[in-house]
Amino acid sequence: MFRKILIANRGEIALRILRACRTLGIEAVVAYSEADRDSLPVLLADEAICIGPADAKRSYLSAPAVISAALVTGCDAIHPGYGFLSEDEGFAEVVTAHGMTFIGPSAGVLERFASKEATRRLLGGYGLPTIPGSEGMLRDELHALGEAERIGYPVLIKPSAGGGGKGMRMVRTPRELESVLKVCRSEAKAAFGDDSLYLEKWLDENRHVEVQVAVDRFGHGIHMGERDCSVQRRHQKILEEAPTPALGEAAREDLAERAVRAVVAAGYENVGTLEFLVDREGLAYFIEINCRIQVEHPVTEMLTGLDLVVTQIRIAAGEPLGFSQADVTFSGHAIEFRINAEDPEAEFRPGAGIVERYHAPGGPGVRMDSHLFNGYEVPPYYDSLLGKLVVWGPDRATAIARGRVALDELVIEGLVTNVAIQRALLSNETFLEGRFTTNLLDRVGSAAFLTAAART
Amino acid sequence: MPDPSKPDSRRTARGAAERSADHAAIDRLATDLLPALIVKLASSGLGELEVREGAWKVRLRRPAAATREKRPADRAGRGSSSHASHPGAGLTPVGPGRDGRDGHSARDGHAGADPRRVVATSPAVGIYQPRTEARQGTSVRAGDRLGVVDMLGIAQEVVAPSDGVVGSSLAEPGDAVEFGQELVVIELALSPAGDA
Repeated sequence: MFRKILIANRGEIALRILRACRTLGIEAVVAYSEADRDSLPVLLADEAICIGPADAKRSYLSAPAVISAALVTGCDAIHPGYGFLSEDEGFAEVVTAHGMTFIGPSAGVLERFASKEATRRLLGGYGLPTIPGSEGMLRDELHALGEAERIGYPVLIKPSAGGGGKGMRMVRTPRELESVLKVCRSEAKAAFGDDSLYLEKWLDENRHVEVQVAVDRFGHGIHMGERDCSVQRRHQKILEEAPTPALGEAAREDLAERAVRAVVAAGYENVGTLEFLVDREGLAYFIEINCRIQVEHPVTEMLTGLDLVVTQIRIAAGEPLGFSQADVTFSGHAIEFRINAEDPEAEFRPGAGIVERYHAPGGPGVRMDSHLFNGYEVPPYYDSLLGKLVVWGPDRATAIARGRVALDELVIEGLVTNVAIQRALLSNETFLEGRFTTNLLDRVGSAAFLTAAART
Repeated sequence: MPDPSKPDSRRTARGAAERSADHAAIDRLATDLLPALIVKLASSGLGELEVREGAWKVRLRRPAAATREKRPADRAGRGSSSHASHPGAGLTPVGPGRDGRDGHSARDGHAGADPRRVVATSPAVGIYQPRTEARQGTSVRAGDRLGVVDMLGIAQEVVAPSDGVVGSSLAEPGDAVEFGQELVVIELALSPAGDA
């Protein structure tokens, strides 16, 4: 096991990793940018080291700065969290070359799964149904138009690198495709440093269902069920829950088993998430794999009682999983609400500022993962996630009821948050019936959504 | 902040017209330019701004960083034992307390900051090596190299933030340093920045 881990991230996930390190009795060093000097992970860390200025390119995204910080503090492993350098195979390789361990899949594994398009073909070969898409990357406009014609409109333009919905556009006509292709390329280039794009068939009424897997170095793999992330705004997840209301128990189990079989066969390693689109008929199509711990991992933790970050660290340290599929049991229903510093009344514009008052909700089945505290100043440089409120209940109705109570109890003053939209969701009929689809919020419009909720 | 009101010696014997032009220029500097400049510096990421007005110029710098002694030592002791086993690791414990900001923060107007000295800080996280030519007592110009911080084989220059004389060192050769850490004191030359 590791002796000392450098946490190369910020906010709630840095805190989450710090807690996992403590649980395992491992020392933790928090690497931070100047803008995060007064943040909770830095205040609570065993040790903290400033790696650069607020600009993430020169701090959290700078591989030399992060690795140098790990070396001078005597760490033997680096945990990248999510985002930033978490799926950068070049970074993982240099970490290893300096005699440390990258907590995640090895560089070789990351490289094998780096291209979403190639991964789709790879896992398709191991029995996962995949969504129709372009053959390889889009070379130029002519190629894109030809491929879109072959797949059939509407199509989704997707960047090969990165995630989080950045650089993605759905287009319904060749004309639309022509007009946004350049924009998508420059967005992808700006966000991920790679402008490779590909096309995917767009399913109009789809659900986003993802399977959580863990595979140790010895090829022993298990799944931890699925999560439903269909509540999205512009491809950004807002609320996640498990089990998915979209599929019955047998279909869920079948999907999860096929997913873990395919990734084990393809040589995947460590924790990972396979994302699927599920159409109206309940057919699932594999779209991509996330080779990192995910924002919504607590949903699975609530359902299984497992600690995913601890599992991730153990696997990276070369330990066997130590449990089998039969040991993974699922109980009840969990929902995660992403609490963001965004104004639902103003196009979800991200905000920053001082948290004048913060109170986290509590009670049975309530968990709050957040780096907020009274007087904390949310810096404007990074993503707007303030925390994750996760509720659990023996069934979906109880989880929803506990969610309502917890959202009402949550106090964040000084900043505008998206709590109103979360409350609105819990009074939305489509959500309550478990029929939410990924484009619903965008189609209805969040303003109309909030107004409708206010009437009920 | 440098004092813009002192003319240099070449301009001592001058006519009344010159003097009144100077006064007008200084007035403009003080009432119009300076407040605007302060706002601009505070909102920018820059460390220094310079504006010319006639034969005069004013250079505005961010306040000198709080000295190391002022940093809360709430982490001293913790983590230091683990450093001992690592070669070359003499990392200064960082105090991220409410008051632990260094000189990079625009809000940091330490009343106790000495206006006659500024501090060169580390441009990166890594191992510090001072330049032998920049020993204590050497006169330096803003931008002169005082040493390097080796960040994974990439040498990052430690530079003098302003003209002055190299004062005491706040880190030893071979020390592990973090970004923004104070490394070398620069005693400011008190003569005005002439228009030479």
